[in-house]
Amino acid sequence: MKRSLGFVLTLFALLALAACSGSKAEGPKIVIENAWGRPSPKVATAGAFYMTIRNEGSEDDALIGADSDACGTIELHESYMKEGGAMGMRPVPGGKIVIPAGETVELKMGGLHIMCIDKQIDFQPGTKVKLILHFEKSGDIPIEVEIRNPMK
Amino acid sequence: MRNRTFWLGFFGTLLLVGLGWWAWDRFRPYAFHGTVLQSNEPAPDFTLMSADGPVSLSDFRGKIVLLYFGYTFCPDVCPTTLTELKRAMELLGEDADQVQVIMVSVDPERDTPEKIQEYVEYFWPTFIGVTGTPEQIAEVATQYGIYYEKREVPGATGYLMDHTATVTVIDRDGYVKLIFPFGTPGEDIAADLKYLIEH
Repeated sequence: MKRSLGFVLTLFALLALAACSGSKAEGPKIVIENAWGRPSPKVATAGAFYMTIRNEGSEDDALIGADSDACGTIELHESYMKEGGAMGMRPVPGGKIVIPAGETVELKMGGLHIMCIDKQIDFQPGTKVKLILHFEKSGDIPIEVEIRNPMK
Repeated sequence: MRNRTFWLGFFGTLLLVGLGWWAWDRFRPYAFHGTVLQSNEPAPDFTLMSADGPVSLSDFRGKIVLLYFGYTFCPDVCPTTLTELKRAMELLGEDADQVQVIMVSVDPERDTPEKIQEYVEYFWPTFIGVTGTPEQIAEVATQYGIYYEKREVPGATGYLMDHTATVTVIDRDGYVKLIFPFGTPGEDIAADLKYLIEH
């Protein structure tokens, strides 16, 4: 009786230890939140997706691209203010968006965004777009993007 | 006796402070959110092509015109501004019919009058989209101090347009009155327009 209790306790302790070491992630740990896309008329051939990307891990990672059946091509772009106040848009320098360990990167209006070129579907409010994000280290992360009006 | 003098002084001061406050509140100049411009010359007139035929700025004398330069392939900056303008129209309610938004395409190669019209209408039914020959667009943009430049980029987009993303406000008499920088909230735009409509 006593022996079996000891056995159970040991087993329990071992399991707890395993669980702890399991959750203590080595490397990057990417969490995507609040992914949304702006509704746009059919005639607009390009659309933009926005989201919050958090890296809860201990190693830097980078978003290097994305794929979706809803888009002909996807590129990572950023809007930026040029000298003199004009707005420009360009593919992100280096072709990737670095998500440093322990930090959060916002893809937002007037800044970084995932550009959906040659839209294949109508971006009406309520539409859900399946998107596969490609990360340098974490690999592919499938997400769902909700098409909705921007919120303040 | 001394007591009466005290109370007289007390209420007198109170009255003066109150009057001063009221006068300041009543007569202080309205502070615009946008950048105020004092132009001696009327805003240059132009005629460009819309889906319903030629459109001139002078067609809208008596209304407040909001002029915006952009292009339909623009997925981020232009929809952001047009969404703020839509918000302003919503907030203006009935006064919205005093305001005309005109979007001029800086990408006449890709934007036909029909295309830019469909694009702007998506945001608000009365918005008008216009385009023209590259020469016409260049002339209008120069007159309004709008910079734009075609930039070839690697990838599927072919080229992108860099452009000034401000909104130019032309008052009912046809003078440039205000400039809204990129990112001005619809609430601020509506407040300024409301003031212009009422004064």
